[in-house]
Amino acid sequence: MASVAGSSTLMASISCRKPNQASNFNAVSLAIKGNSFPSLKSCSAPSRFRVSCAAKPETVDKVCSIVRKQLALPEDSAVTGDSKFASLGADSLDTVEIVMGLEEEFGISVEEESAQTIATVQDAADLIEKLISKE
Amino acid sequence: MLPYFCKLGLKMKIHCFNQKMFCTSALSPLQLPSRMETHLWYVLPNEVKTQSLLSQYVDLLSPLEKDYLDIHSCVSPRSLVFRKNAHGKPEVIWEQSDDWHPPPLHFNLSHTSSLIACGVIVGSPIGIDVEEKQRTLKSNILSFAKRYFSCEEVEVLSAISDPEVQRHEFIKLWTLKEAYVKALGTGFSGAPFNTFTIRFGDANPNPEDSAIVIVPLEKPTNLTTNWQFAQVELAGSHYAAICRQNDGLPGGVGASMKVIVRKTIPLVEEHCVPSIVPVDD
Repeated sequence: MASVAGSSTLMASISCRKPNQASNFNAVSLAIKGNSFPSLKSCSAPSRFRVSCAAKPETVDKVCSIVRKQLALPEDSAVTGDSKFASLGADSLDTVEIVMGLEEEFGISVEEESAQTIATVQDAADLIEKLISKE
Repeated sequence: MLPYFCKLGLKMKIHCFNQKMFCTSALSPLQLPSRMETHLWYVLPNEVKTQSLLSQYVDLLSPLEKDYLDIHSCVSPRSLVFRKNAHGKPEVIWEQSDDWHPPPLHFNLSHTSSLIACGVIVGSPIGIDVEEKQRTLKSNILSFAKRYFSCEEVEVLSAISDPEVQRHEFIKLWTLKEAYVKALGTGFSGAPFNTFTIRFGDANPNPEDSAIVIVPLEKPTNLTTNWQFAQVELAGSHYAAICRQNDGLPGGVGASMKVIVRKTIPLVEEHCVPSIVPVDD
């Protein structure tokens, strides 16, 4: 996991970005004021950052299973770290229920400010591990 | 595919297409909402059946908008440009010119898998939210409410003994809270739901009789309270909540919102439907 200070996490996310994906840069919003951090893209990154950026596969799997259950998706449906909640058919109420399910499963508390930054399964898993590591 | 169109403000484009300021249309032009009115449009995506109609909708989009889909004097719908505010709320960017001053038109979208709605208003920010009446939660309603709603709202829900009525009131309350944070433009994260109570004026929350008010729970607070609400049923299947500012309206703060509801198949037809206030089953 990236080092604890928030600004380091942000810098790690910029470094993880593939060099030739300049057009995606806008997707990583440098909202320093803390208004919103739209999804940090999951990193196929230089390996020195890989461990820092991504949550453990087991965490991602647990999140996928909670998401499948909330959205009543069939077992064989494609849900991965990259899956966006909105694309899976989740609306705001679903997303909030998923967050509540994650809180119960992992014994964490997710502030509403953070909940809105979660756009993909990977975002959720990363946030979970960050919150667990703080406790 | 259609929900993505609407997320790009297609319905907004269609609405402007039908307003008096635009020339060519198969449908007769409409007046913009007066300052006292709120227009609520909705589409049932199941009714948009033909590929040619979808192609006409796609045709209205800019190249950038088409990409996103993997997919003057007179303002053409095509020329409308949208952007998102700092919190992701879509808004129109109007071209400014010396001889045309655009109206302060605001809109907000909401959709479920079976209905897309767009609220349009002049002179005030607006937030709307729609939800299927038959929507169920995977969690227990009171557990959810205890986690996310205010204590007063949990008490109101707990006092409802019939589970179906409780579920309906929960959904209506959810849409009201969503409409408010969308009107504020900050969304859920800027105004967590447990930092304010939605209170009905009477003990009996009958929307026809009583004003719905916002009660911020933190002091000091960034939350403003000069907002008015309306609740409408759409297509017999959805609850809709609308939130707009109530400053300077005739009838004062307690006046109820004048909502004009229209059902539409964009570019094909539209008609007014009676504005139905949801009542308990």
